[in-house]
Order: sequence, then C-alpha cells, then structure tokens
Amino acid sequence: MSVQRGLGPASVTERRREFEAALGRTAEARSQEAGVALERASLWRDALYRFAANRAALVASLAFLVALGYAYITPWVDSADPYFVDFSEQYRPLSWAHPFGTDQFGRDLFVRNALGARVSIEIGFAATLAIMGVGILYGAISGFLGGWVDNVMMRFLDALYGLPYLPFAILTIVVLGGQATFWTMVVALTVASWFTTARVMRGQMITLKENDYVRAAQALGARWYRIVFWHLLPNTLGLIIVFVFLELPGVILGEAFLSFIGLGINPPKASLGSLAQDGYAAFQTHPYMIAIPSLAIGWLILSAFFIADGLRDALDPRTRG
Amino acid sequence: MSDRAGTTAGRDGEPLLVVENLRKWFPVKKGLIIDRTVDHVRAVDDISFEIRSGETLGLVGESGSGKSTTGYCILRLLKPTGGSVRFLGRDVTGMRRSELHSLRRELQIVFQDPYASLNPRMTVGDIVAEPLVIHGIGNRRSRRRNAERLLEVVGFNAEFINRYPHEFSGGQRQRIGVARALALNPRLIVCDEPVSALDVSIQAQILNLLKDLQQEFNLAYLFIAHDLAVVRTMSDRIAVMRRGKIVETGDAEQVYTAPRHEYTKALLAAVPVPDPHKMLARREERRRLAASVEELV
Amino acid sequence: MALLEVEDLHTYFKTRAGEVHAVDGVSFSLERGKTLGIVGESGCGKSVTALSIMGLVPPPGRVVSGRALFEGQDLLQRKSRELEDIRGREIAMIFQDPMTSLNPTLTIGMQITETLRRHLKLTRDEARKRAVELLEEVRIPNAAQRLRDYPHRYSGGMRQRVMIAIALSCNPKLLIADEPTTALDVTVQAGVLALLRELREEHDMAMIMITHDMGVVAETSDEVIVMYAGQVVEQAGTFELFDSPEHPYTEALLAALPQIEGEDVRHSRLASIPGRPPDLISPPPACRFADRCVYASLEDSCTRVLPELRELRPGHFVRTAHPASERAAAPVGS
Repeated sequence: MSVQRGLGPASVTERRREFEAALGRTAEARSQEAGVALERASLWRDALYRFAANRAALVASLAFLVALGYAYITPWVDSADPYFVDFSEQYRPLSWAHPFGTDQFGRDLFVRNALGARVSIEIGFAATLAIMGVGILYGAISGFLGGWVDNVMMRFLDALYGLPYLPFAILTIVVLGGQATFWTMVVALTVASWFTTARVMRGQMITLKENDYVRAAQALGARWYRIVFWHLLPNTLGLIIVFVFLELPGVILGEAFLSFIGLGINPPKASLGSLAQDGYAAFQTHPYMIAIPSLAIGWLILSAFFIADGLRDALDPRTRG
Repeated sequence: MSDRAGTTAGRDGEPLLVVENLRKWFPVKKGLIIDRTVDHVRAVDDISFEIRSGETLGLVGESGSGKSTTGYCILRLLKPTGGSVRFLGRDVTGMRRSELHSLRRELQIVFQDPYASLNPRMTVGDIVAEPLVIHGIGNRRSRRRNAERLLEVVGFNAEFINRYPHEFSGGQRQRIGVARALALNPRLIVCDEPVSALDVSIQAQILNLLKDLQQEFNLAYLFIAHDLAVVRTMSDRIAVMRRGKIVETGDAEQVYTAPRHEYTKALLAAVPVPDPHKMLARREERRRLAASVEELV
Repeated sequence: MALLEVEDLHTYFKTRAGEVHAVDGVSFSLERGKTLGIVGESGCGKSVTALSIMGLVPPPGRVVSGRALFEGQDLLQRKSRELEDIRGREIAMIFQDPMTSLNPTLTIGMQITETLRRHLKLTRDEARKRAVELLEEVRIPNAAQRLRDYPHRYSGGMRQRVMIAIALSCNPKLLIADEPTTALDVTVQAGVLALLRELREEHDMAMIMITHDMGVVAETSDEVIVMYAGQVVEQAGTFELFDSPEHPYTEALLAALPQIEGEDVRHSRLASIPGRPPDLISPPPACRFADRCVYASLEDSCTRVLPELRELRPGHFVRTAHPASERAAAPVGS
C-alpha cells in the first residue's frame, strides 16, 4: 500500500467518493455516545431577561417609545396644521386647543414639536447608522489587518481626534455648500463622530481574532472576507447594538446644537433644535417655546442612554453564566 | 478505501510528513518610536521528525517547549523562520496561498479549548459543513447529508445539526471539532492538546473516538500534549521537546520504558502515578534527577 | 479531638433556573498533621466544600445547613470578623491560579509583609526579615532581592511557592489547597508537591488537598474522599482506596485513567464512563451515579432510594448498593 502522490482531479473525486461511503458505513455502525444537548435558553433570551430585569432600562425603553409615538402619531391624529399662519393666535399659552401653545406665527406647537422631534430622530438614526457603517468598516479593516496598516490607520485616527467636534461639523456643512439639508447634517455629524466606534470595533476585532475558531477557519483555507464577515463581524453584533444607542444621544444633541446656532434645518421645516432657537428670542415672555423642545431633546437623550446602559449589561459576556 | 482501512502503523510506504531543521523565531522588539529587533524568542529551534501514513507521533513537552508552535508551523498558520516541512513530498514552507489551498484538505487540526474553537454564532451543522463550503465540495443537499454523517460518526444524533455550540458540554464540543477536522478527509490531523481541558471520564471518551477514527479512516496524528499518560495511550512514536528542541525521539514503548535523555527521565519521574505503593520509589528517582532538572525539587 | 470535623454540610446556589445543590450532605473529619485528599471531577462540589468551610462561598450560594467544627468551634456560626482572624492565622487557603490571588500592582514583599503585620502585629523590619525567611523556606533563590519584584516577574511555579509562603506565614494549623498544581507543568508540580510535603512535616500542619488528579491524591494524601454530584461516594485510607476501591464510580474513574506504565496501552481502548453527571437542580432522590453505573439495574433499590454512606470495613466508607467486595459473590450481567 503506497501513499498516493498525485493530487490530480480524478483521484481527488475518487477519494472523496470513497470517503463519503466510508462515512456512511461508519455512521450507521456508531453508537450515539455523545449524548443529548443541554436544555439551555438561547443567549438572546438570556439577554432579554437581563434587560427586562433592569428597571431603568425598562422605563427608558417605555419613555423612548412614548417619544416615538408622540413624534409619529400626533401629526397624523391632530388636525392642527403646523404651517398655518394665523397671527391672531400668536403666542397662545398652553391650553387644550394648543397643549404646547403657539409660536410667533400662531402655529400650533404641539404638532410642530412632534414634527421637529421626527426630524431630530430621523437625523439621529441616519447619522448613527452612517457612523456605524464608517466606524465598523474602518475599525474592522484596521483590527483585522494589523501590522503597519493598523498602525497607520490608528495614528490617522488619533490625529482626527484632536479636532474639536462642533467646529469640525460646522466646517463640513460649510464645505458642503453652507445650506443645511437633511443629508448635509447627516454627513457633518457622521464625519465628526465616527472615531470612537472605529476604535472600539478595532479593539473587538483584535480580541476576537485570537479565538481558536478563527484559526480553525484559517486552517481550512478560508479567505479573509469569509473570516471577517462570517466569523468576526457576527460576533460583534451585541456590541454594535449597544453602540447604536450610545451614539444616538450625541448625534441628537449635536444636531440640536447646530440648529440652535442657526446652521441647522431651514424653516419652515423644523427640528427640535431650530424650534428651541425660535423660542430663544421669546424666552422671557413665553418660556414654553424654548422649554418644550429642550425637554424633548433631554428626554430622547436620557432614554437612549439608559437603554444603551441596559443593553450593555444584558449583553456583557462577563456576566453570562 | 478497503485496502487502506485497518493499518495503524504504516511502516510501508513513504512518510507523509517530513520536518527538517524547522525553526520559528519570534522577534523581540524594543524602542520608543521605531521598533528595533533586539533579540529572538526561539520557540522552535531546529527540530526534525517524520510521520508515516496512519501512525501517531506524540509530541510531548511542558509549557514553552514549542510543541503547539510546531503544530501551527506545519499547518502554515505561522510562517516558519527556517527549515522545511514536506507534506506528501512537497515543501509547505514557501508555498503560495493558492497551492496551499488544495493541500489544506489533507492537513487539519483539532484545538484545545472547546469553548473557543467553535464560532458561537454558527450552528453545529454549519460549523461541520464549512470545510466543504470553503473547498466547493458538493451542493447544499450533499453537504447537509455529509454534516449529518460526520456528526453521527463522532457520536451525535443527527437531529442536533441545527443546535448552537453553547448548548453542548465541553466534551461534546470537542467531538464537533473532531468532526470538522474530519470533514475534508485529511491524511494527517494535528491534535493540539485535544483533551487537556476535559474531565477524566470525558477524556477517555474522546481518546477512544480518536483511536477509532484513526482505524476507520487511516488517519495519521501529530498528537501534541503535556500529559505523558495521555500521549502514551495514543502514540506509536514519541518526540520529547524542551525549550524549542527535541531531546529524544523513538518508539513509544522504548521511550517510556528505557528513556535515554535525562529530561525525559525527569518528565516520567515527575508524573504523579495513581498507585501509592510506588510513591517512595518515585520520590527517590526525582531526587536523583533533580541535578539536571532543578524544577523537580 | 479531631482538628476539623465537617458534619452534613449542605451548600446551595440560587439561580434563575432553580436551586443548585452544589454540596449535598458532606461529612468528614481530619486529624492534626494529616492530609485529606478530596478528589472528583469538575462540578462535584469539592471546591465549594472548601469554600463553605472558610465562609467564602460567593453569592448566590449559601451554606444551608451543617457544621464545620474547627477545634471544637463551629466555623459556620462565627461572624465574618472572627472568620477573618481565623483565615490566614489558623486556616490558610491556596488556589489554582496564583495570579488572581496576587495583586499585580504590589511587590511580592509588600504582599507578604501585609499579611504578617495584620495577623502577627510585627513591625516593618520584623516583617521584612520574616518575609525573607519565608521565601527561603519555599526555596526561592535570592530571596532578599526577589522581595522587590512584582508578580509578573515570577514564573507560575514560583508564584505558587509565594502563595504557599504567604499561607504559611502565620503558621496555620490547617492548609486548604484547591487544585494548587493543576495549572503547572508536571516537573514544577512535582517540586511544589514535594515542598508541601516537607513543610507539612516541619510545621505539623494538616492539609486538605483538593484535586481532580488521582495521581496527585495518591502521592500526597493519608486519606481520600471521592466526591460525585455534591456527595461523598467513597472514603478510605489512600492505600486502601487504591488497592480495593469499592464504589463503581471510583473503579470507573481509575479504569478511565490513561496509564503511563503498562502493556500494550497503544492499541487498547480506555474504559470510559458513558453519560454525564446529573443536573444538581432538584437532584434525583436515588443514587446519583445510578444512570451511569454498570451494575445498577432498574429493579435495584438504589435507583429509587439514595444509599447511605456505610462503613464497609473499618475506616472504609462507601455510598452504594453495589460495592466491589459484595459483587464478587454474585455474578453480574455486563
């Protein structure tokens, strides 16, 4: 009996067929001594339990849902037209007809704030998703490739960290033409805030790379894209989910600030930030005009933050059994 | 297949794997801004051995001996610094990716840690079928069938094919790792401490499984371990490593009953044996050998 | 009076899935200067037993019932302040991974002297001198210089020796060693075990050696307890246990061990134990080994009722309905 030297295609298929036949025979003859699987709750269900046990996270989730409900259901339901100008109704205080009062043009603020919240939330999520995309890509490439590439990419990132956040965002808007539309806002906020995500993703990649299942895939001959997309990224899912809710507050606040200083969404469209700016002038006489959008911003930010906190505790592998 | 089954120690035929003067040195870098290489850690320092078809070479040594690094070099998970690794007559050390790819079907590995060697996000069936996907073998149906057979061959009921690794114990996970290694019908499997993380009663199960598979599929093993008793029960021949070098090689029987090198003797004397009657004699032996191996006392 | 008497110890862990009976009725006694080996596989409760005695069971675990009489006084009734005094001074404990017991930001010298000054009220100079003596006792070369090193400069074996030095610093009457050599190389292990033996003789110290390794138990212990699923299944003097094991689990465990000596080891299969240890949440009222036992059949009482731990021979206790010596009389089917 000699060892086959040839690795030509014919002998390979032959050997494969023989092997599969042998597998079949052996499988039949073998006893099932491995036993049964353990009855364990899935990892996601465990995480859900932990999240639900966290009261702050639950309250925050409810609060967030309430905010979403307000933003999306109210304008549907409420018949008041947010763009209808009626100077006879201007500066009305809080009442049943106008739960949040009216502004200097007599427009109903209940609905305007809801629409503003919509814009803030949408810019928030859009920018967050963009940040995730850029950050994950950058971090994954840097962490996975390692070596000098990683070095260069991280040094570049360090340099970017040095730039102040808001001036950077402002600069981006100016560069993009000075007009703040939905998409320029998203780009500006993304450009200024993707760094942390990239850094954390890179760290995750480096840790995950050390796992034996990655080595096993390499030993099998898996190409880099298979390893990154099949083995590494899916195992960062938990982290990504947490980060979405961690980045959201920062982005919402950033948008609010830019709008507040006048670089944001243009009228008649409004975001919470621009509504706050509208109310700024009338602060002394009609405080509700600035108070309500500000409270709404705070509400969104706090609830998102506590959700992120709860998610992080729920998905933290260290507390897993 | 029929004429290949049954032979365990294939003395006839060419050696499957020939390792000559293998070296793997890791650079030690120092420096503030620019790293300079000041020294090398000689993890594997000029070792040579061979493995024949169907036989098991036990590679035994303590931590830092370089045995796992050797295994990784053979699989090209690490690029050797020097020397040659010839598998089926072809030198693996300098090969390009594309050539290496076809060779990967013949050389596989089972890892030590059952909790880190399986991707927690893949089903057991996907894990075991992945080798077939990577090498483009068969279609979705035949791969599923193969995955079921492989799981059965390592002792599972095929119905567990859609479960996830976290639903299984350590010993069961190791079986899955073995199934994955077997999927491509390799000729040689590097077993890197496959039972070190398992309880004694489960160890025995996995070792028996490995023995059975060796017979049924005419596998050769490079069995890497630090536990001398485990290595003995699996190996035809043994190589003892210490600090990157092989200090002794030979037939398993011979190395265990009549070791030549002082370090081998010390290793054998150090193992606590489950027989209290032998205690005093073994203590004496260790005291004698302490001259060459200070850790002993 | 025995140095340590443990009576019917029960330690349970409250989890979301139910209450885990980690230790379920463990009793033993230990004489001064003797070594007791507790052997078993992972999950059998041997570590939790030791932690229970020391009052170190982490939540959600708690000692539910039982007594641990150290020199006549029940440790389990003591307040934590009193226990802190006893721990380190009368009873010392060393663990498997010394790296987690040593503070990586303090030098070894500081960690030893801290214990000395706390328990023995020594001055700084006295403590330093004693620390050097201790390191020399555990055979660490250049002890005086080594005091200034941080833990990461020590190898695994040396760190364990430092742990032993710290444990011995106050001359305890009892040392509990929980898998002290499991993470060490085999030659280093031999050295550490030899050291422990000599120190025990010099200080007339009793020791509890917890391990999964039957070889370690054979070499270090005077008496052995075999644990399975939270209970003691066999207890005997070391020679007696290895010469004539009675419990099917002990026999199976010994048979499953790969041998370093022996004929034709290569081509024979190891005797493995089918199945897995039982779930310790609401464990069965029967013998916990029954479903894996080759001798138990469905009509036997042991599949319904838990056998008592009975004294088969003087000093040899076993908890089974099928001890080896009674089996030889009646032929059994495989």
